[in-house]
Amino acid sequence: MKQRSLTQSMSWLHTWCGLLLGWVLFAIFLTGTLAVFDRELNVWMQPELPTRAVNQTLAAETAQRWLEREHPQATSWNIGLPTERAPSLSVSTGEQRRGVRTLLDAQTGEVLEARQTVGGNFFFRFHYTLHTPRNIGIWLVGFAAMAMLVAIISGIIIHKKIFKDFFTFRPAKGQRSWLDGHNASAVLLLPFHLMITYTGLVIFFLIYMPAALDVLYDGNRQAMQRDARAGSVQQQATAAQGEGRAVRGENTQAGGQRGEGRGEGGQRRGEHPVENAPLPPLADFIAKGEAHYGAGMLSALSVSNPGKADARVTVRPLLGSRIELTKGESLVFSAVTGKVLQAPPPSGASQLTQRVMAGLHFAQFGGYPMRWLYFICGLVSCVMIASGLVLYTVKQRKQAKGSRTFLNIAERINIASVAGLSVACVALLWANRLIPAELIGRGQWETRVFFGVWALSLLHAALRPVFVAWREQFYAAAALCLALPLLSLLNTFPMDGMRVGVEVTSVALGLLLGWLAWKIPASARSAPARKPRAARLAGAEQ
Amino acid sequence: MTAIAFPLSLTLAYAGILLICLGMQRHWKQLAHPRLPAQLRPACALLGAASLALAVYTCSFIWHPGMAWVAWFGMISLAGLALLLLLPYSTRMALGLPVAGAALCGVAAVWL
Amino acid sequence: MSLSHPAWSLLLRTLLALLGGYLFTYTATAALARLLPVGRYDAVVIASLLSFAVYTAFILWAYAVHSLSRLALAVALSLPLALIGFWPQLLELTA
Repeated sequence: MKQRSLTQSMSWLHTWCGLLLGWVLFAIFLTGTLAVFDRELNVWMQPELPTRAVNQTLAAETAQRWLEREHPQATSWNIGLPTERAPSLSVSTGEQRRGVRTLLDAQTGEVLEARQTVGGNFFFRFHYTLHTPRNIGIWLVGFAAMAMLVAIISGIIIHKKIFKDFFTFRPAKGQRSWLDGHNASAVLLLPFHLMITYTGLVIFFLIYMPAALDVLYDGNRQAMQRDARAGSVQQQATAAQGEGRAVRGENTQAGGQRGEGRGEGGQRRGEHPVENAPLPPLADFIAKGEAHYGAGMLSALSVSNPGKADARVTVRPLLGSRIELTKGESLVFSAVTGKVLQAPPPSGASQLTQRVMAGLHFAQFGGYPMRWLYFICGLVSCVMIASGLVLYTVKQRKQAKGSRTFLNIAERINIASVAGLSVACVALLWANRLIPAELIGRGQWETRVFFGVWALSLLHAALRPVFVAWREQFYAAAALCLALPLLSLLNTFPMDGMRVGVEVTSVALGLLLGWLAWKIPASARSAPARKPRAARLAGAEQ
Repeated sequence: MTAIAFPLSLTLAYAGILLICLGMQRHWKQLAHPRLPAQLRPACALLGAASLALAVYTCSFIWHPGMAWVAWFGMISLAGLALLLLLPYSTRMALGLPVAGAALCGVAAVWL
Repeated sequence: MSLSHPAWSLLLRTLLALLGGYLFTYTATAALARLLPVGRYDAVVIASLLSFAVYTAFILWAYAVHSLSRLALAVALSLPLALIGFWPQLLELTA
């Protein structure tokens, strides 16, 4: 790089950072946007399950009866209560995260069979792991997120007329329009872009930047988490002591962890056999849990050592009553006495800050109106990234200099990353319906369809002329989206609000994609240059 | 309450953004120039800010304060985008949208 | 390709920006955590949360600065920063 001005160097940086990482970033943003509705997609992808609204108390009673009948000797029970976004009742025994989940009908208690599927969770996991073994993907996504921050700030630096051009969009003018579109979607949603990128990094902050942890705690995460609890209000341990043993804070820390199923009860049990005591109705604990978390704000119950005197009931809240991300938090009661053994301490200021930032990214708060805002903003972000990728090729096509080979490759990768990925995402939903429900390992097959379609799109992009490839792939995505409701109509699956919602959204997106495909010209030269009516009337050429 | 407050917040956000846009020389010429006197232009930006502030207030009917601010940022961004897309195609629609929004809120208020 | 080809200079700048930048951010975060007059836990959270802004700023500056030697010097600052951050651990090692 020769001597350059700030604008030139930042422009260079923005272009290369944006282009090379834009392909990955589009995938991260598209799957992240779809993951906003991951639970809804889960429901859509298991169409055999009923989704009528069921009272959590009734569900808990049904679950308790079933567990007492089928697994009376288990050391721990886990019950996933039906909630608004996850309306099924599930039970398992053993460690909370590991047990095989059985789905029950909340009213009759009979076991439900539903097709095994990767569900909407596929998009959620792909979003932060890129489907690579856990930490490799997390690091890649972190790298991409840093590139995004660099692209955003460099973009701001080089956008000289950022205020003047705030509302400027001149369509049908080739490169000018692409630049306007890219600028507008980037600047107008700047708060969202900055927030979502920075908070994404904050979620895994100790993985990405362990420096402070290394220097003050010698890298010991558990020690740091212990300090987090000690720093906030301490829960009285007297209730626990009344049971005859002291509660060690770390053991049942931040619930939902592996310790839950074992609990310290499991460690000392060999010494004195604990007497039996009938387990009170779990419905009571729902009431107690709701007293703390609010009506309808519970997501799960766990019972350790059911049927014994030292049985405990852990109540887990539904995320969403506040921005702060309280994943893994829980309220623990003694089953027999009903007293609170451990309540989640309110977070100290710095922990609250980190959790609020994480919560802003996870978007589990605020109900459906908020969720839709995030979804639409996410889609606009995808448009912003895609328009940047296309802008690069439009610009390079006009300029004679530069490597033609590289431009050619970039064009093809653009098509596969943007249009191809879109086709792959909706193809996953089609695979969910077309792959036979009884097939063992059908989840794997759904994943294979996703990656297979994506790979095919790259091949298609390499073989067809550029504009034709764009058009064909967008039409394919549009067709799959528009025809999605047919999959349900041709079957006798129960209809309900959530599934209809997924299908209506799919149709809407299909219309949008179809319109996009229709607007793509046959080739660069045949692009029309009609001035839009309003601009002609105003006669102003800025 | 949400059914009224949500479209109302969106309408106020859009109206605010529209007014701020009108306050800019370039867009005043594009949208209002022949009909409205130029003295009104500086007032537009202020009115726009007021409308945006009101939008935060109506958001707080749906969500508690912290969340209301988050939603508000999303709404003004999307409102800006809507305005940006309407401007080159139909200035009449761009100007008329808040009226349509207000009408929608009126219908919602009467119906519920 | 001779060593004076601009591609080498670009490669060096990129390595200094990305790897050197991460090293700089790591040691700066450690130093900040050590120096902040708050409790251990709070220091870790505050310093770590700010680190992403530091890294971003470093990368931007790394591509804006004209001389590569200036950039290398900035990366070399990691050493004194590491000393500020890790001096108790270093004392333990040498004790």
